[in-house]
Amino acid sequence: MLHHLRVLPLLVQMHIRSQMEYRGAFWLDRLAQILSYGSVFASIAILLARFETLGGWNFPELALLFSFQLLAYSLGAALSFVQLRDLEELVRLGTYDTLLVKPFSPWAYLVFSGLNIGYVGHVILAVALMAWATMAVDFNWSIWSALFFVAALISSTLLTAAIITMIGATALIWVRSNHLFAIFFGFWELTRYPLNIFPSGIQFILITAVPLALTSSVPVGALLGKPIPILGDWAGPVSLIAGPLWVLLAIAHWRYATGKYQGAGG
Amino acid sequence: MSAYTAFARSSFQSQLAYRNEVWANIFGKLVQVFARVAIWLAVYAGVGAATLVNGISLQQMITYALLGGAVMGATRPERVINEIGRSLKTGDISVWLLKPLSYPLYLFANESGSFLYRLLTQVFPTVAFTALFYGMLPPESLFHGAMFVAFWAMSFILLFLMSAFCGLIAFWLMTSFSLDWMFGALLNLFSGLMVPFWFFPEPLATLARHLPFGFVVYYPNAVYLGQLSVTQTWLYLGLGLFWTALFFVGVLWLWRKASTRITVQGG
Amino acid sequence: MTALIEARGVSKRFRQHKRFPGLLGAFKTLVTTEYTEVVAVSDIGFDIAAGEAVGYLGPNGAGKSTMIKMMTGILVPSTGTLSVLGRTPHLERMTNAREIGVVFGQRSQLWWDLPLIDSFTLHQRIYDIPLARYQDNLKRFSTLLDLTPFLDRAVRQLSLGQRMRAEIVMSLLHDPKILFLDEPTIGLDVVAKDAVRKFLAEINRERGVTIILTTHDLQDIETICPRLIMVDHARLIFDGELKSLRAALGSSRRLTLEFATDPGPLPLSSATLTADEGLRKHYLLEREDVSLVSVLSEVGNDRGLKDVALHEPDIEEVIRTFYQRRNAAALAS
Repeated sequence: MLHHLRVLPLLVQMHIRSQMEYRGAFWLDRLAQILSYGSVFASIAILLARFETLGGWNFPELALLFSFQLLAYSLGAALSFVQLRDLEELVRLGTYDTLLVKPFSPWAYLVFSGLNIGYVGHVILAVALMAWATMAVDFNWSIWSALFFVAALISSTLLTAAIITMIGATALIWVRSNHLFAIFFGFWELTRYPLNIFPSGIQFILITAVPLALTSSVPVGALLGKPIPILGDWAGPVSLIAGPLWVLLAIAHWRYATGKYQGAGG
Repeated sequence: MSAYTAFARSSFQSQLAYRNEVWANIFGKLVQVFARVAIWLAVYAGVGAATLVNGISLQQMITYALLGGAVMGATRPERVINEIGRSLKTGDISVWLLKPLSYPLYLFANESGSFLYRLLTQVFPTVAFTALFYGMLPPESLFHGAMFVAFWAMSFILLFLMSAFCGLIAFWLMTSFSLDWMFGALLNLFSGLMVPFWFFPEPLATLARHLPFGFVVYYPNAVYLGQLSVTQTWLYLGLGLFWTALFFVGVLWLWRKASTRITVQGG
Repeated sequence: MTALIEARGVSKRFRQHKRFPGLLGAFKTLVTTEYTEVVAVSDIGFDIAAGEAVGYLGPNGAGKSTMIKMMTGILVPSTGTLSVLGRTPHLERMTNAREIGVVFGQRSQLWWDLPLIDSFTLHQRIYDIPLARYQDNLKRFSTLLDLTPFLDRAVRQLSLGQRMRAEIVMSLLHDPKILFLDEPTIGLDVVAKDAVRKFLAEINRERGVTIILTTHDLQDIETICPRLIMVDHARLIFDGELKSLRAALGSSRRLTLEFATDPGPLPLSSATLTADEGLRKHYLLEREDVSLVSVLSEVGNDRGLKDVALHEPDIEEVIRTFYQRRNAAALAS
């Protein structure tokens, strides 16, 4: 384990150096992504300018929700998305095997050799919006609420990374996994809106099977004192536990998927 | 001509080849359609579900939301942009210059196949299913219904042409990655998918109406809902065709420039 | 004494989702739950002792890569037992990994955009190689395979031959006991192939590194591996010395006689005429005890014999003959 920890910084550093070989495009790409997410936020702003509330949430509250979700996603995805999405290709080409013959965790190598700094654009936008929203929202911040906010953010990051990792790991079982990411992102877009506007079937899914609501509207809603469907008063604690819990699930799933890949089942 | 039909057909078939993928895509689309409708239900609930906002009722907005996904849901502009970008970057595109085929036409045939596939297997079933739950209004009149189909077809072609244009520009300007995201940003705001123009605050509304992106979602839907008079419908059809022609010329021109440059420089 | 690698009755089966052809079939594939089973390796057993160099040969799809994957711990055998360095590879993957080196012919382990030396440094850290030992090995192998001028160059700027040499060097930096190579010379030019083969042969002889090599290229086997395991359709069909394979299949040598003037038809008692091109005549010497001298004395020195060429059967012919005889035997039974 310790041996792994010493190698990880080198992996990350090597990956960043590889990326910087293409420095020119890097910042332009970041700007493009900021504009894209910004345009979604602008659409919400336009809608709220006409209708004033959405599901009982006003514009500053929705801004807080949007920025929280974007930040948690960016940090979680940096640790998982591109790496696990490309796993499908690595498996297809047989390159994944080269990771299995090293005395090193294939997951750690995969994730840290591809730690995606491309999310820095998302982070910049999210932090900027969050800074405005935390002040514009009609809420009395305290030490406890601030701590909850940070803890929920960390849990959401872990949860996002865990879900993405589990989806990507199916490439070890099915060979093609990217369609599952299509489902993931479909649901992910939903969770930038308050949970209560959706039919109860979708609400249930967004808390359990694809618990992305726990990375956005549930913790933020709990913080702001909004009524949370299904979870009610448990919304806060559930949001905090969900991250670590799903990480454990992801670890178990990874072990299972690796077993399948190796044909341990025969 | 049959070569292009073959491309369209094989594009259709290869999408079907991975069964898990097909079911997952259908499910994903279904969720998105439900979600869009849910958002309109929520905002109208805030002002009173029976209220007309800017003269538009909730029922009309639900229909708008159901239709809106139809074109956007069946196309993926990023595929076209990135595919062009990829083959320009790797030099694969020079292979096309050797074939007795037109690359842009091949792309179009390919996209048409994918479009039809997505339309039939994903969009129609999901919209029909959701319509069962929430109810969908019929077109305002026979004329509007027929024109809707025309606008819709034009929307697909225009979106393809704009994507191809972006993909080709990437050859000279930026990375196809950044162009794809920026194009996406413009579509998000100005296609009318999320919010129709009649809800836009003023300077933005006029701007949106003059840009080509509105023809991708807003104008077809506005026609369907009878928000444009007969005269206006014809007018905007003409305008849409103008944009289409403009991008068509643009794509051909860029393609000629790109192929010349590749054959001269070797890519 | 237990062998370094021991395989007993090893088999590997894969299940694949059934695909139906055609457009209608595509829709049917959407809803079916039927599988087809593919047997990649069937009941294979062998012992490999320390210091051996073994070539693993067979046509595409014969199960070579699958066998290597099982020996390196990537795949788990469906049945049978496999022991490498006294361990079951997939159960003790990381421990096993420290003592083996693996080179995949078509899958690179090098970092594309960075200088070659960086990939080596990473390798040193991952395998925890003591610095002095690492530097010693690096220097020695880089010199032998002529990599030293390229160590600071980005991997993407290296030729395929240079990259393969780099992969081989990298795989040996941690002093593995066994080196597995999966088609290492594929795509290389003649010079590069030669350098790689000589190096591997030397590593095996002088450092006692056990070598397991899968390949299509029979020259690889001839230069590096005295022992040969052949597989076809998932089964083991030959396991033994290359020498004995040659001997068993006979030593049909080809003889070419070149004349100043056409001596006319020239049948010989000790050799069979295979082609008569007038000035040039080709013969086959099928019996091992027939010497060139006796053939030439039969020709005599009054026919205007100008030149003689004697052709030992090369390994390709040997293997081809083996397969031909095997197929003929299969047809006959």
